[in-house]
Amino acid sequence: MFRYVPLMLKNALRNRRRSTLTILSIAASLCLLGVMFALYRGLFLAPPKPGQELRLVARHKVSMTQPLPVSYEARIRQLPGVREAMVWQWFGGVYKDARDRRNFFARFCIEPDKLFRVRPELEMPDEQKRAFERLRTGAVASSDLAERMGWKIGERIFLTGDIYPVNPELTLVGIFKDPNTNETLFFSYFYLRELLGAGPRGDMVGTFQIQAENAEAVPRLAKAIDTMFENSTAPTKTETEQAFALQFVSFLGNIKLYLMIICAAVTFTILLVSANTMAMSVRERVREIGILKTLGYTPGAILFMILGEAGVIALMGGALGLLLASGMTAALRQGPTFVGAMRTLSITPDVGALSLALAFLIGVGSSLIPAWNAARTSILEALRDSG
Amino acid sequence: MTETVIQTRDLTKEFIRDEFHVVALKDANLEVRKGEFVALMGPSGSGKSTLLHLIAAMDRPTDGEILVLGENLRSLSDRAIARWRNEHIGFVFQSFNLIPVLTAIENVELPLKLTALKKKERMEHAATALKLVGLGDRLGHLPRQLSGGQEQRVAIARAIVTDPDLILADEPTGNLDAQSAQEILTLLGRLNKEFGKTILLVTHDPHAARFASRIRHLEKGELLPEGQVPADYTVAPM
Ligand SMILES: Nc1ncnc2c1ncn2[C@@H]1O[C@H](COP(=O)(O)OP(=O)(O)OP(=O)(O)O)[C@@H](O)[C@H]1O
Ligand SMILES: [Mg+2]
Repeated sequence: MFRYVPLMLKNALRNRRRSTLTILSIAASLCLLGVMFALYRGLFLAPPKPGQELRLVARHKVSMTQPLPVSYEARIRQLPGVREAMVWQWFGGVYKDARDRRNFFARFCIEPDKLFRVRPELEMPDEQKRAFERLRTGAVASSDLAERMGWKIGERIFLTGDIYPVNPELTLVGIFKDPNTNETLFFSYFYLRELLGAGPRGDMVGTFQIQAENAEAVPRLAKAIDTMFENSTAPTKTETEQAFALQFVSFLGNIKLYLMIICAAVTFTILLVSANTMAMSVRERVREIGILKTLGYTPGAILFMILGEAGVIALMGGALGLLLASGMTAALRQGPTFVGAMRTLSITPDVGALSLALAFLIGVGSSLIPAWNAARTSILEALRDSG
Repeated sequence: MTETVIQTRDLTKEFIRDEFHVVALKDANLEVRKGEFVALMGPSGSGKSTLLHLIAAMDRPTDGEILVLGENLRSLSDRAIARWRNEHIGFVFQSFNLIPVLTAIENVELPLKLTALKKKERMEHAATALKLVGLGDRLGHLPRQLSGGQEQRVAIARAIVTDPDLILADEPTGNLDAQSAQEILTLLGRLNKEFGKTILLVTHDPHAARFASRIRHLEKGELLPEGQVPADYTVAPM
């Protein structure tokens, strides 16, 4: 079968302009497809980030915006398989001038004595940890954030509340290393409660983070926690942190569906482009197919050659497209990253192989009909063709 | 007694398309022996090409028997026929029918790709065939870089490269000037005499037919008995 390859290649490139245009349009489509696949993989199929394997998040069953009683924490901690449980409250607020994008970073209220047990991937010197536990108004920042803001230990950080009507006045007491390179500021939930004063507001929190003792306990705990509060006024939904994180992408709508629709549309485009090229290219060569048949080529050999030709064109377009896609993902990695998956976006070997295989299949599939017809045309009919 | 290469009995081919009904060949009985050079003549539309196509198994008869090289063509499958044609038949067309994107040697190599030969052997065979037709210095030329006569010689090289027993040529000189035509006919004559190839040549041209050892005439789909010519047949003076 390999002996047909040279003729296949020659045929693929005989109409230079048409082949080039086809290869370019397949490349453009495949570039898009590759980026989409990479995005899909990054969002839905990525392995858990460091520290995520054993971490669960419990929130209100109805919506993330509905709060849970802070008293749940003690009850969760009693469940077997829980290593630690802690309040995890988004503070939001404004730092300095909100119009400056540079001043945007995540701020959470947590429990200083539990933070490093619930998030063991974070590293900070022990004396800074103790300082954080001691100073009520203390705050800790990730090294990425501290570096970008030029903060040193002792830095005074003033936040203006928006969700909460309070203005925390914080002192930076620690800088921790985060392998996920997030830009985060943590301060004490107890300080927030104190600022809020007596009242129901302080007794309610957004979510709890739970560190399980082992992987086996993770699914069991998710179920146990939700069952425990099933019939209360504030039922919970508990899931892995990885699954929970995807909720923040859902402000883009049903991203999974969007990605699939785009991929389907792109695939269909390649199919049409390739089908059109192959139909034209076969049409022009009916007579040559008759000649080959006269020389003893079987319908099977003819079929193989035409399908192969389409496959070659699709693969060339695909390879070029993936090259473009790697460039594009590299550019996206540099750009503003509001979604974690963007920061590691790349054409991984599996994404590349999948895209190429898809391109090949589309190429071959799109030429099935012309190839089949050509293979079946009788010799004399084919030879009479003046094309 | 020499071997029979072609034997047809009451061979008939009808074309039926919608209300059209053409009897292209009617009850033809033809016998060609090994080593013969037979010319088939007749006016346009008399069924010459049709008969040649049936012998090459490029088409199937409506009726009658056809035995070529001992093979009953009516009983072979399409796949078997393709392989059989590759091994035993060399076909030369009026319009050369080379593949334009392939060089002379690549065109000649085409039928060998269906054999078990290695690339190197295929190239050697193809080069030998091209040398035989006098194109040893044109191996890498594309068809459009060759004259009509040279193109037809490449086509003949392609027809003989598999060392077939039977060469079928349908008006091979029809598109050529007198000089080139003469060369092609001389070449066919050589293939017949020196290499013992059995040749069936379809031609309009009485001059061309002189290269043959025997001439059979067709008229309106009927193969006339040996020695008989159509009523209005005249041989132009040379
Ligand atoms: N595929 C076909 N469908 C219908 N009729 C056909 C077909 N092929 C040939 N014929 C008819 O059969 C008859 C014989 O045709 P054929 O091609 O054998 O003639 P020919 O002797 O080779 O003529 P020429 O010298 O012009 O090549 C003609 O009347 C032709 O119109
Ligand atoms: Mg004819």
